[in-house]
Amino acid sequence: MTDAKTLAYINMFAVLGALENLCKLDEQAKNILSGTKPVSIGFDVKDGPKATLSFEDGNCLLTEGCADCDIRLPFASPEKFNGLIDGTVTPVPTKGFSKIGFLLKTFVPLTDRLSEVMRPSEEAMKDPAFFDLNTTLTFYVVTCAISQLGNHDPISTFSAQNIEDGDILMSIKNGPKAVIRAKDHVLTTLKDCEGTPRSVMEFGSMQLANDLFNDKVNSLACIGNGSITMKGMISMLDNMNRILDRVALYLA
Amino acid sequence: MSYPEYTHEKSRALFARATKVIPSGVYGHLGPAEGLFIPVSKWPMFSERAQGTYFWDVDGNKYIDYMCAYGPNVLGYNDPDVDAAALAQLKKGNCTTSPGSVMVDCAELLVDTVASADWVYFAKNGNDTTQIAAMTARAYTKRKKIIFFKGYYHGVSPWQAKKDYSGVLPEEVWNNIIVPWDDIPALEKVVEENKGEIAAIIAQPYDHGNFHDNAIMTRAFWAKVRKICDDEDIQLIIDDVRAGFRLDLAGSDHYFGFKADMICFCKALANGYNMSALCGRDHLKSAISGMNVTGSYWMSSVPFAACIANIEKMKKLNTPQLFDTLGTKLINGLKIAAKENGFDLVVSGMPSLFYLRVANDDDLYLHQEWIAECVSRGVFFASHHNHFINAALTDEDIKTTVEIAEDAFRAVKAHHPELA
Repeated sequence: MTDAKTLAYINMFAVLGALENLCKLDEQAKNILSGTKPVSIGFDVKDGPKATLSFEDGNCLLTEGCADCDIRLPFASPEKFNGLIDGTVTPVPTKGFSKIGFLLKTFVPLTDRLSEVMRPSEEAMKDPAFFDLNTTLTFYVVTCAISQLGNHDPISTFSAQNIEDGDILMSIKNGPKAVIRAKDHVLTTLKDCEGTPRSVMEFGSMQLANDLFNDKVNSLACIGNGSITMKGMISMLDNMNRILDRVALYLA
Repeated sequence: MSYPEYTHEKSRALFARATKVIPSGVYGHLGPAEGLFIPVSKWPMFSERAQGTYFWDVDGNKYIDYMCAYGPNVLGYNDPDVDAAALAQLKKGNCTTSPGSVMVDCAELLVDTVASADWVYFAKNGNDTTQIAAMTARAYTKRKKIIFFKGYYHGVSPWQAKKDYSGVLPEEVWNNIIVPWDDIPALEKVVEENKGEIAAIIAQPYDHGNFHDNAIMTRAFWAKVRKICDDEDIQLIIDDVRAGFRLDLAGSDHYFGFKADMICFCKALANGYNMSALCGRDHLKSAISGMNVTGSYWMSSVPFAACIANIEKMKKLNTPQLFDTLGTKLINGLKIAAKENGFDLVVSGMPSLFYLRVANDDDLYLHQEWIAECVSRGVFFASHHNHFINAALTDEDIKTTVEIAEDAFRAVKAHHPELA
């Protein structure tokens, strides 16, 4: 019931995309990047997504396309790229051999740290700061995955076809926010943006959001008790939530 | 006049209990999620009792109810004539091994009442009747595909869902074709592209879908749809579950000047007693007779007795005319209240099933605020769904409703100085 190409887009723009936020929010990630020269890594997936991760001054930025990258990592198929994320495929660069040290000494530790945060131990989650970091990154992964599913997943594209143009604001109270922008049924996620929302869905706390992401509470019950609030064009949220339902299928 | 806002402590406490033993507390259209209680604090969760056009929540707050249990309350809650008939039947027998004779009486009355009906097949919910109608169409035509109009809702069986619904397999909706409302060329095109494969067209009598202004179809539209069905041997199923008996006691197909092959009734059949009925034409009688569809309570006698009393009283009162008059009065009052407070209230659909939308913004924020302010002052509206008129509604209730609506408009205006 999942599609390898859609998963590749999710892995690229939602999972690897979370490095942007990790580098901004996590001291360990900042330390890993500390003192490194500007480098960009292009991921070139045949019949799949193409994007570049650029690292400069401790910041990380993911952009579409990989024409102007320092290191180019080609993948013969979406499945191969998904293997990179699973840890079952080791890519061989076709460009940027002189910067391979960054791949090994910086990029791999960064992705290891991302895995540590995204797949935490129970013990680690007892630390409130780590808990917030995990929840925040999961929020960004989920909101970015929504757009990728809506644009590529054979079922979710049907949902996206029913979303009117406009911004949907998703947020965690006193936490991260993101806009899912629909334009001609193509979805784009804008992190840390309020946009001009036509509909709004807010999770009442970091704890609640984390519980929802981990399927510990029922979202409809939360709407009932007021811990999730929504307003505006509910038909947009309704269709987006059908996509959200499928995010777990891909990210499980 | 100013109306104080209600509070809902007991509702909240009961909802908290409910969530422990019932998934999502109150699931489905009566619950806060699907019922769009925005914000949830303004809404009651549970009722204590009901009478006529009112219900009282568990906190003792009284509501003039324009959702009518989403349709079944057609004469008024606890209508004495319907309840007396039901109680009399209850003393004689209800769920029995051999069905009560009242079932035949009820079927005869429905065949006499519904213009297109030659037979009646009883069940419990609207969903049962749309399901049986689709099966009958497939059994009769030996075809798979069914045409739906965009934004359709005909129940909750997997084949009636859409492929992105949770728990629904794409294979279950493979034979569904969706066309826009009021677009005969689009309909002709899909019929031509699927020639000899379409078992049925299923549709409500007009587009009374949720989240958008409702659109009434013309008699000319339905005449063309009927002709396409006749030419291609496609069965025309009218889902009159929501609108049935509120436009026309002979069926909404009769109101729009055509005959359905099958027509589905539920909500307004028995004034809240649980039953549904699929009515159909002679040529389908053999096909439905050969199908294996039944249910434990489908032939219970009490709802049949209630249905007979309900239909006879609706005829006596000429409820479609009454609903049109009451609905029109209410709509006019609401529009004036809106205008006087600087709001643009768009009313669509039939007066008996009016749909409301505050159109000052195009995102429904103001609309949802106004609806919530109405509910929390004692007028039960919904922000996403058409409303229902019942026969117990009085001119005094309409006057009170308009006053509360006006107070609610003032409250919204006070929250939004930018509107001034």
